[in-house]
Amino acid sequence: MQASNDVVIETRNLTKVYRDFWGRQKVRALKALDLEVRRGEIFGLLGPNGSGKTTTIKLLLGLLFPTSGQSLVFGRDATDVSKNERLGYLPEESYLYRFLNAEETLDFYGRLFKIPRAVRRQRTFELIEMVGLDWARRRQLKEYSKGMVRRIGLAQALINDPELILLDEPTTGLDPIGTREMKDLILKLRDQGKTVLMCSHLLADVQDVCDRIAILYQGELKELGRVDNLLKVRDVTEIRASGLDAQAQQEIKAVIEKHQGKLLSMGNPTSTLEELFLKIIRESEAHPGRRVRGEKES
Amino acid sequence: MVIEYAIVPFLEWLSTSFVYWLMILGGVVAAALIGSWLVVTLRHGPVVAFRCVGRVLSDTVVDLALIAPRRVLAMAWLAVKESIRRRVVVVFAVFLVLLLFAGWFLDPASSEPARLYLSFVLTATSYLVLLLALFLSALSLPADIKNKTLHTVVTKPVRPSEIVLGRILGFTAVGTVLLGIMALMSYVFVVRGLSHTHQVADADLRAVEQIDDGEPAIRQGHSSRVHKHRHEVTVDASGGVRVELEHGHWHDVSAGQSAGETVYQFGPPRGRLVARVPVYARQLRFKDPTGEDAEEGVNVGDEWGYRSFIRGGSLAAAIWTFEDITTDRFPKSSFPDGLPLEMTLEVFRTYKGQTDDPKTIPGILGSLSVGDPKTGKPIEVRLFTAKDFATDVQYIPRQVETPDGRKLDLFKDLAPDGRLEVWIRCIQPMQYFGMARADVYFRARNAQFWVNLAKGYFGIWLQMVLVIGIGAMYSTFLSGPIALLATMGTLLGGFFSRFMGDLGAGAVMGGGPIESLYRLVTQKNLIQDLEPGLKTTVIEMIDHVLEYGLWVTSSLLPEFDRFSFSEHVAKGFDVSGNLAAQCALRSLAFLIPVFVAGYLFLKTREVAR
Repeated sequence: MQASNDVVIETRNLTKVYRDFWGRQKVRALKALDLEVRRGEIFGLLGPNGSGKTTTIKLLLGLLFPTSGQSLVFGRDATDVSKNERLGYLPEESYLYRFLNAEETLDFYGRLFKIPRAVRRQRTFELIEMVGLDWARRRQLKEYSKGMVRRIGLAQALINDPELILLDEPTTGLDPIGTREMKDLILKLRDQGKTVLMCSHLLADVQDVCDRIAILYQGELKELGRVDNLLKVRDVTEIRASGLDAQAQQEIKAVIEKHQGKLLSMGNPTSTLEELFLKIIRESEAHPGRRVRGEKES
Repeated sequence: MVIEYAIVPFLEWLSTSFVYWLMILGGVVAAALIGSWLVVTLRHGPVVAFRCVGRVLSDTVVDLALIAPRRVLAMAWLAVKESIRRRVVVVFAVFLVLLLFAGWFLDPASSEPARLYLSFVLTATSYLVLLLALFLSALSLPADIKNKTLHTVVTKPVRPSEIVLGRILGFTAVGTVLLGIMALMSYVFVVRGLSHTHQVADADLRAVEQIDDGEPAIRQGHSSRVHKHRHEVTVDASGGVRVELEHGHWHDVSAGQSAGETVYQFGPPRGRLVARVPVYARQLRFKDPTGEDAEEGVNVGDEWGYRSFIRGGSLAAAIWTFEDITTDRFPKSSFPDGLPLEMTLEVFRTYKGQTDDPKTIPGILGSLSVGDPKTGKPIEVRLFTAKDFATDVQYIPRQVETPDGRKLDLFKDLAPDGRLEVWIRCIQPMQYFGMARADVYFRARNAQFWVNLAKGYFGIWLQMVLVIGIGAMYSTFLSGPIALLATMGTLLGGFFSRFMGDLGAGAVMGGGPIESLYRLVTQKNLIQDLEPGLKTTVIEMIDHVLEYGLWVTSSLLPEFDRFSFSEHVAKGFDVSGNLAAQCALRSLAFLIPVFVAGYLFLKTREVAR
């Protein structure tokens, strides 16, 4: 499904400075971030630890207040409670009440929404089924393994059938199969027309599922764009073909030689996100201050 | 044994208190608005600050108006679950152990065991429940913030107001159930602890009055000694048994036959667990020794002048004016012996020793009279001997005889409009009677004891709800242990708030804090004035500021001891509906602002830090 131009999340010059008790500046966690996330896309926030990913998400949720700038969700200020009706959030570690069992957890969170009782019951049942915990639905969360807590955390984020889902490190604590399932689920949610904003430092995950990514480093936006565009290596052409006879290959070689080229193989290769990421980090360290502002896409 | 503060009629109290409440509230709101505006101004400038404060105000109105019961209940349910997980039931075990140990130490043979038992159970439950409320409410939200469990909650469409209210309600529900069960346990403990019976056999009785032909006569004797007392038993000719009052109670006795002998079966003690409904006088005035009207009696040198004294052997008198003394209130069927007047007079002796006929109990003689509204003069009803430190009951007959032999009806002639004057004089020269308004009252009826005990627990419940509210409020912006300490501080301050108020109003002898310190260091007594000069002026100026601060603080703190009805219940007085209603409203008056403050603190803080 193609992303529309309908903006779901918008940050304008969003800045967050952490201060200590006396109001002295401790950390500039986020520096003048401008972002737009459009309806129906999977947007990835990428960056090393401490780069401001979680801060961004917390600002978008109203858990933190911006030092300056604005963050808008569904066009409303992030501190507005009513935005939460259409939003689901999976925190970095699933912060759930350990003395509740799976059913009670989902029922409790469901009751915070305006959902009829029958629908709430139905959804609780389905979500537990979906995350594969039906065998442990009456066990207290304190008996759960980390992966199980993660799954029930995801279920609670979806209890209100949200339009926008914010996932903070969705795959941490999951085994390879769980990771795969989580990624499939994210793609499925996108296919249902939902918008997903996820942050992660696991590059493979981001590369697999995200439509667009923003790379943050030390609170600054370093790169922003479509994943396929960002990973295209433009000065290399890769040609791979079959069914060409020797003469045709000779002709292609001749053309390349005529242009002083050296044929490796044909086609556009892609680098991995890991390479891109490391490159950006290296460049940032070499030239501090270079940054991307706003949309920059080709 | 009297309750030493007056209870103002409800409407009178409501009108003055409500205005006072509004004033304090207005002051707090204004201070909060200006304060927050100043703080924001420092960082963002006055215009932004103005807009910020305005937005918070409008948000507050919305958040308070749109509280959804569904979400509040969900939050309350969570609080209940959390309390159960934190094993609040342990409190029962503690309480049970307390009761078991108390069984050893509380002496049912003491002179007023009911008071001992009742004050023990009421104090024990209130401490336990208040501590529980303190811990539950002050530690819950900070733990949620620390564990970040609150993150998943506040990212749902739940308002901060609902989080705070839900918690208050949830913990209140838990506390209510606990308190209810503890009240039941206490009731059983008190009733069973005081329960005892005596025995008396035919052989213990001796005839005191023989009728000529040897028919059964009136026989008297003593019951067996249990709990260090025994009752005098009188059996009349028809077999009716009468048990004399002893240690504040009597027993119902039924006579039965067993193996050819008459056996008297004593029932459980009666008259001990009571809830007297007193009718207090509207006014107490005095006559001085020459018979002239006086504002007060004599001060015999007590520093705390609660009681005023009248001199014996003179025209000095204390006059209580009662209202609403009607036959409807005291019908003949219920009060055949007259109107029971209970009095607790203090006796101040200027000399000691046997003062009277050795046959009577040594004591100071007084006279009890009722005022004649036609002449304004007292008509003596009877003489009595004042019992020091004990409550005495005197009956005022329904017909009073004047010295010239006329018979006056108490209701028609002496209290035609329901107003009755009761005069008390001290007969013996050089001795003094001390009295206050609440010392003398008519006992209109006895209310149900268990209802009164329930009211006593209602008082504890009010205190508990207040503690939960205050704890929840502090926990919205302080970390757990600090919130705990702050709530405890408020609790303690609340118990001393009346003293603080007096200190703030400058009504305490010895001046304000600095002056007191100065007197302490320089070893000056409280009476001596400070020598005028610069030093004194500076001291007084600082004290004025401090006193103002104390006054403000005391106005903001709830007077916790006022919410306790334990004294009433233990001393056997009915907790009037008026008093209960006043306390309920009073605690509501504190809870509302405390809740709103908690909401505001939670709303304006960053949950993720």
